[in-house]
Amino acid sequence: MAEVEETLKRIQSQNGVQGIIIVNTEGIPIKTTLDNASTVQYAGLIHQLVMKARSTVRDIDPQNDLTFLRIRSKKNEIMIAPDKDYFLIVIQNPSD
Amino acid sequence: MVKDLKQYWELSNQDHPEDIFPMVLTSATQELFDCVADEDVTGESPYKLLEKDDIIQDIKTRAAVSDFSPVKQIVLDYPEDELLLVYDRDFTYGQSFYLVLTPDAKDRILNPPKPETPEVFEKEVVKTPEPKPWISFGSDKEIDEEAFKESREKLLYKFSRVRRKFGVPVCFSDRNTADYLECASYQDSRFSIKQMQRDCGMQAVPRLQSSSAQTQWKFQKNIFTQYTPRELSVEEKENILQLESLKTFCNSVTPRVLQALQQEGIMNVFFDDWKALGTATEDGDWAGKVSEGLMLYQAFTDQKYTKDKKICSVNWHPTIYGVIAVALTAKKEDQLNESAVRASFILFYTFSDPSNPQLLLECPDDIFAFEFCPSDPNIIVGGCINGQVVLWDISAHVTGLQGTQPGKKVSVNTDTCDFHQDLDDNKENKTPIVRYCAVSALDSSHKAPITDVQWLPATFEVTRTGLPVENMYNVSTQVVTCSPDCTIMFWDVRVSNLLSHSASERRQIMDQKTPYSVPDTFKHLDRTWKPLFRVSLPKIDTSGEYAPLKFNMEHYTCNANENGDSSKVIPDYSQLILPSAKTLKALEDVNTKLYIGTEDGEIIYIDWKLGKDDSGRLQSAKPLHCFSIHHWLVNTVQRSPFFKDIILTAGSWNFAIWKEGVMDGPILLSASSEQVCTVGCWSLSRPAVFFIGKEDGSIEVWNLLEKTNEPVQVHSHVTNAKITCIKPWAASSKQHFLAVTDDLGMVRVFEIPKTLYVPSRSESLNVKKYFELEEDRLKDLLRREELWEKQKETEGLKKRTEPDKPVTSLVENEEANVKEYNDYLMLEENVLKGMGLWRAPADTQDT
Repeated sequence: MAEVEETLKRIQSQNGVQGIIIVNTEGIPIKTTLDNASTVQYAGLIHQLVMKARSTVRDIDPQNDLTFLRIRSKKNEIMIAPDKDYFLIVIQNPSD
Repeated sequence: MVKDLKQYWELSNQDHPEDIFPMVLTSATQELFDCVADEDVTGESPYKLLEKDDIIQDIKTRAAVSDFSPVKQIVLDYPEDELLLVYDRDFTYGQSFYLVLTPDAKDRILNPPKPETPEVFEKEVVKTPEPKPWISFGSDKEIDEEAFKESREKLLYKFSRVRRKFGVPVCFSDRNTADYLECASYQDSRFSIKQMQRDCGMQAVPRLQSSSAQTQWKFQKNIFTQYTPRELSVEEKENILQLESLKTFCNSVTPRVLQALQQEGIMNVFFDDWKALGTATEDGDWAGKVSEGLMLYQAFTDQKYTKDKKICSVNWHPTIYGVIAVALTAKKEDQLNESAVRASFILFYTFSDPSNPQLLLECPDDIFAFEFCPSDPNIIVGGCINGQVVLWDISAHVTGLQGTQPGKKVSVNTDTCDFHQDLDDNKENKTPIVRYCAVSALDSSHKAPITDVQWLPATFEVTRTGLPVENMYNVSTQVVTCSPDCTIMFWDVRVSNLLSHSASERRQIMDQKTPYSVPDTFKHLDRTWKPLFRVSLPKIDTSGEYAPLKFNMEHYTCNANENGDSSKVIPDYSQLILPSAKTLKALEDVNTKLYIGTEDGEIIYIDWKLGKDDSGRLQSAKPLHCFSIHHWLVNTVQRSPFFKDIILTAGSWNFAIWKEGVMDGPILLSASSEQVCTVGCWSLSRPAVFFIGKEDGSIEVWNLLEKTNEPVQVHSHVTNAKITCIKPWAASSKQHFLAVTDDLGMVRVFEIPKTLYVPSRSESLNVKKYFELEEDRLKDLLRREELWEKQKETEGLKKRTEPDKPVTSLVENEEANVKEYNDYLMLEENVLKGMGLWRAPADTQDT
C-alpha cells in the first residue's frame, strides 16, 4: 500500500501531471486521482486501445511486446505503461 | 260551411282508414242497389260494385234522406264509374257497410297483392346462363354513324410497260421541268369548310395512385445499448492494493513513466521552431514588393457638396463592399454666417466612382455623428448640430448602392429614383436624395450639438429606469446620444404605447402625411420622438455637471443563439412595438457603466441606471470615477475590439489606454506630443496596433508590442488639413482599408499593408500580458507614491522635532575637502612606493 502511494506521489510531483489511474487487466480502475466519471471513461476507452496496440505489436513480431504508449493531443498527453496484470495511465499537460 | 265541417269532422273522427267510409244502408237502399245484407252480399263475397251514376241518381231523388248524402261530394269526384261497396259483417269499422272512396283502395281490396310464393327448387340444375337477346338502346345508330364505309367502289388503276419493252434496257433522259405543265395544289377560296365541331374522346386519368411496398428487416440489430461500467467495491480495491503483484508492477513501471514525463517537460518534440520563425508573412508575397506603410487606395471628394465643409464623422457600410458614408458639416466661419444656408448632407461614396456620391441623405441640419444600425444596415441614426436625433431608412436605394460594385453592371432602377427629379434631367447624373424619416421632438432633444451617437447592441435593451432587460426581437432598437449640454439620452425607435400620448398628439401623429417619397418606417416617431430617459452627469466633488463629448459602453454578448434562428430575419421596424417593462426579463450581468470623455479633458466612469434619491424621484447616480488626464477636448473613447475592458482615449496632446476595473488611472499614458491628437482608433485585426491622427494631417501607427514610447510608423502630411476621423474596415481577409477624413472634406482610403493587419503569433496573449504588466506597474507606482508620501511626512515630522543641525559654512567645507585630498595623495604615494613605481612628482617650484 505504501509503495503504491509513494509511486503515485513521485509521479504526481512532476510538473503538468493532471491525473493518474491504475487499471487492472479487465479495465476496471483500482486507484485513481481523478473523479469517478472521468476515471471510468478513461479506463474503459484506454483499455480497449491498449489491447489493440498490444495485439498489433505482437502480431507483427511475436517476440515483441508493448512497453509504452503515448497519445499526444492538442490539449494534453496521455501516457500508458502496460504490464502483465495492470496498467498505469498518466495524463499530463505539457507546458508550452 | 258548417255542414261541411261537420262532415269533415265525422269523416276524420272515425277510427278507420281514410279511404273507406262506413255507412248504414237502409233496407230500401239495399233493395235499390241489390246489396241486401246476407242475401246479395255475404261474408264470403262482401264486395259489390255500384254504378256511380246510380248513386248520383239516388242522391238526387232522395236528397238528404239518401244514405249516400254524406259522401255525395266524394262520389261526384270519383274518377271511375264503379264504386265498391263492402258488406262489413263483423262491424269492424262500426257500421254494416262501408264504401271505398278511392280507386286505389278498390283495386287493393279487390285484387289483394299476391303474397310472394317461395320458389321451390325441386331440382337444382346448374344451367349455363343463356345469352339474352340484345336490346338496342340507340347505340347502334351512333356506331353506324361513326363507322367507316366505302361510299363508292374503289377505283383500280394498273400501269405497266408495253409488252415488247420487257427486258429491254431502259434509257433515262432528262427533260426540262418547264416543258411540263404542273398541276400544283392551291387553296380554293370558294371551298373551305371550317370545322366547327369535333368529336374527340377523353379519358380521365386518376392523379393519385397509391402503392405500397413491404420492407424486409433482414439484418436485425440494436439501435443503441445502455450500459454501466463495472466497478470494484471498496473492499476488493483494498485487497488488490495489498497484493504483491501490484507492488512489483509499480516498481517496474515507474521509471518508464518518469522518463516520459521528464521528456515532456524538457522539450516539445512536435513543435517546429523553424516554421514558427516566419510569423506573419505567408508564401506568395516574396516576389512582390512588400510595402510597409499605408498605401493610398482611393480618394473621394465631390466639388459640389464638399466645398468649404469639413467631415465630422465617417462610417463604412457594414455589409456592402466599398461603400463609405461621410457627414459634412460647415466650418465654424460658415456657421455664423446665417445668410448662406446650405442644405446639409451625408454623402455615400463607392469605390467605383470616387468623385460622385451615390446617395445623399438629407439632414435638417449639420450632422456631427451618425451610425448604421447593426441589425439592419438600412437604418441610420444621426445627431444634429441643434440637438435633434434624425433617422433615415435607405432600403429603397440600397440596390442602387449595390449596383455600383466594381465589375457589376450599373443598372439604374428607375422605379426607386427620387421623385423630385425633373423628367428632362438625365437620370444617371443626378444622385438620389433621401429625406429623413423622423426627427425627434425639438423640445425634448438636446440643447447642444449631439457629438456621439451609438446603437445599443441587439443583445439587450433598456427600460425607462435604465434597467437592462432581455431583448425579445434580437435587433438593435435603442440609441444612446450624448451632448455637451451635460446629458446623455436613451432613445427607442419602436412604436411606443400610444396611451401615453395626449389626445391631441395622437391626432397629430395620425394626421401627419409623410412627404411623397419618404418611407414610413418611422412615421410614428416623426416630430414627437421623446427619449426614454436622461442621464445627467453631476460632478463628483463640486457642483455642476460634466459636458460629455464621446462615450463608450460595453457590448454585452450573451448566448442569444437559443432565441434566434441562424438566418437573421430583419423585422420590419415600423411594426416593432415597445414592450412594457414588466414583461421582460431583467439581465443581471450587463455592464451598465459608461466611459465618457468630456469637454475639459476628463474621463468619467458612470453607471447609467437611474436610482431613486431621497424624495423618491428617479435620478442618475453620481459618477464613480473621474480622471483629468487630457487637458482639452476628448475626441475618442473607444473600446478595443479584442479585449472588453481595454479603452483607448485620445484628446489634447496625448492619448491614454485604460483598463476597466482599474480605477487608479490609465495603465498607459503616452508622452505629450507636439501636435494635438485629433482622433484615435484601434486596428480591427491586430490587438496591439492602433492609429492616431494629428492636427497637422499626419497619421501615426502604434504597435504596443514593438515600441511603447513612440509610434512604429509616422505618415506625415497625409493631408494638408487636420485629420478629423479615422475608421478601419476589413473588406476581406486580404484587403483591409483605413478611411481617413480631414478638414477639407476629402476622404482618403488607405490600404493597410499585410504587416499591419495580420496579427503575429499569439499576439492577443502577448498584448494581454503587456496590459497586465502595465496594470501591475501602475499599481506598484501608486503604492510607492503612497509610501513616499508617508516617508516624506515622517521625515518632515522628524525634522521639526529634532534640533536644527548647525549649518556648515562654505569655508569649512573647503577645508575639509583639502584635507581629504591630501590624505588621498599620501595614500597614492604609499601604494606606488610599495609597487616600486613611485616617481617623484615634478616640483613646480623647480624650473
